[in-house]
Amino acid sequence: MNVIEIKDLVKIYDNTAVQVTAVDHVDLTIEKGEFTAIVGPSGSGKTTLLNMIGGLDQPTSGHIEVEGVDITRMKSRQLIDFRLNNIGFVFQSYNLIPVLTAGENVSFILEMQGVLQEEIEKRTREILVQVGLGDRIDSRPSQLSGGQQQRVAVARAMASKPKFIIADEPTANLDSKATAKLLDMMEELNRKENITFLFSTHDQRVMNKAHRIIVLEDGCVVKDEKMTQQ
Amino acid sequence: MVKSKMIRSIAWKNVWRNPKRSLIVIAAVMLGTTAGVFTSGLMKGWVDQRIRAAIYTEVSHLRLNNPDFLNNEEIGNTIPEIGRLTDYLDKSPAVKAYSRHVKIMAMASTSRGNTALMLNGIDLKKEKQVSDLYKDMVDGAGSYFEDYGSFPIVISDKTAETLRVKSYVLNSDALDTLKKAGMPENTSSKLLSLDNLRFNNKTQIEKRLKKILTAKEISKYGAEIVKVSEHYRLRSKIVFTFTDKNGELLNQSFRVCGVFKSGNTMFDQINAFVLQKDLSGVAGLGADEFHEITLLLNDGVDIEGFQKDIRRAFPHISALTWKELAPDAGMMAEYMAFYYLIIMGFILFALAFGIVNTMQMAILERTKELGMLMAIGMNRKRVFNMIMLETIFLTMVGAVAGMLLGWLVVLITGHTGINFSSVAEGFESMGWAAKVYPDITASFFFGVTLMVVLTGILSSLFPARRALNMNPVDALRSDN
Repeated sequence: MNVIEIKDLVKIYDNTAVQVTAVDHVDLTIEKGEFTAIVGPSGSGKTTLLNMIGGLDQPTSGHIEVEGVDITRMKSRQLIDFRLNNIGFVFQSYNLIPVLTAGENVSFILEMQGVLQEEIEKRTREILVQVGLGDRIDSRPSQLSGGQQQRVAVARAMASKPKFIIADEPTANLDSKATAKLLDMMEELNRKENITFLFSTHDQRVMNKAHRIIVLEDGCVVKDEKMTQQ
Repeated sequence: MVKSKMIRSIAWKNVWRNPKRSLIVIAAVMLGTTAGVFTSGLMKGWVDQRIRAAIYTEVSHLRLNNPDFLNNEEIGNTIPEIGRLTDYLDKSPAVKAYSRHVKIMAMASTSRGNTALMLNGIDLKKEKQVSDLYKDMVDGAGSYFEDYGSFPIVISDKTAETLRVKSYVLNSDALDTLKKAGMPENTSSKLLSLDNLRFNNKTQIEKRLKKILTAKEISKYGAEIVKVSEHYRLRSKIVFTFTDKNGELLNQSFRVCGVFKSGNTMFDQINAFVLQKDLSGVAGLGADEFHEITLLLNDGVDIEGFQKDIRRAFPHISALTWKELAPDAGMMAEYMAFYYLIIMGFILFALAFGIVNTMQMAILERTKELGMLMAIGMNRKRVFNMIMLETIFLTMVGAVAGMLLGWLVVLITGHTGINFSSVAEGFESMGWAAKVYPDITASFFFGVTLMVVLTGILSSLFPARRALNMNPVDALRSDN
């Protein structure tokens, strides 16, 4: 089953002196449960592509369908609701709310979805246990290591039961030990919960874990390879 | 509900994200609000005292006259139909008390001075039900018609000074009082040179004090020395010259039995009080001839409504309310609440700039976080609500603390009073009391709370707009 279908996607930045084609006629299909890495050198269009798939940026032309719904036709307000209920985000620099505890950072998104309080508490605890932070539910981000913060970010992304999770360079700020732990955890979630992950990376260790690698160069897909499961 | 609870919780926690900065803004709002509450309390105290003085000392709720008397204070312009009028007042449930006056303009003379005065002939018992002037007697300067001889008169402190019934004598009793009050020996010894010297007015004694005391001593003890030196020549004779009912010029002497000080120099310097039977007798007025009736109405009675009733029933009688007779106090009463709100408005307007600046900085520092919130699905309404609540919390914490502090200051000073004795003459010449008892009402706090919330909302608009205009992608890319 296709979760994401990208058709002839183009993004041109023309607000600078020089017109830049960040994404150039990309066609892609992401299936349910994939663990896909988008790789490429800096400026190849990875983040721009992920932003458009995540409904954060509008393409110049082309279409993105999420489970059959064309998100490129949505208005800004519809997109915000769509993101809340369908897409999980993990950012390079964790981006947790520093004044909230790990538990509150996770439950916050459930509250925005209007989930009942009882369910929020139950699901928050379960997810944090899943990412190995069941004992840090009341810790503030400043009391957690970088790796732990990123795991809270993954828990937050998972909490809303999204159709897929977008992770933009999730390991860029982590040391090798934390990177390995995070990747193992994400892979396990993908395997056990069948969560679709789509992430951009430069990191070879991440690429080694990916089940599919899409290589971008100058905004074009130059390679799309399914990896053999180790 | 749940969603707004979460937004409230985040907003509250965000206020304390940078405690130092928030506390500075909170302290500014607190001090501003305290100043506003205190200033308003001070103004209300002044205005209340002015209104109280206007009603209970000067003009009462409603004053009835022969309209001709208002244009020409001739002795013959007495109130017509006085019997029917007093019957009406006696039967009216709206009337609490009334007092009839005989008023004659006269020239007052002593061997040392003279001045024009309005002689108010009063019925002592009835007057005390209408006027509180008997409470304004100067300590040690006689009484309000108690223990008097024939033809007693109560004059003001100002008149006593003009007619030189008042003088300043620094005798041994006065010196003892000063020493007991804590005046050091080296200062009191300098005053011995003034022993039993008589000064005719305040300026004279003050000039002399300046010659023998240092500026510091004057500033510390000057007012007290002048106060204890005050000496009134009670029972001294004042001769009044006026025209009687038959148009004959006559002289009649009255003896000073007491001195009052109402706090309104204009009222004090023109009015003197004698017994109505004395004045009517010498002026040849009959038992039913009066120039004025002052009346107090019961609580809750519509004064303007009763004025209309009187005008309907007695079209040939002038009925004027206190607001018409003391327009300064009337105007203050009308616009008092408006003045308070203007004061608070100015203070909060100034504070709003600080609040906006702080919130702008807070938004700037959280650009990335706001980008993240919008990216994961926080809609514009929630972002706006969060920033607005944050601003309101920041403002309210300071404002509530400021209102409490202001209320406490008003409570204390309302009890002790604030003495503006150094500028008393200036205040009293305008009818304003020199000692003020600040006061504040619950409705004022309600108004201020509304204004603070409004300030919070208005102050949040600019930073909230900035946040709402953010593009999540650009915000996530920012360094903050």
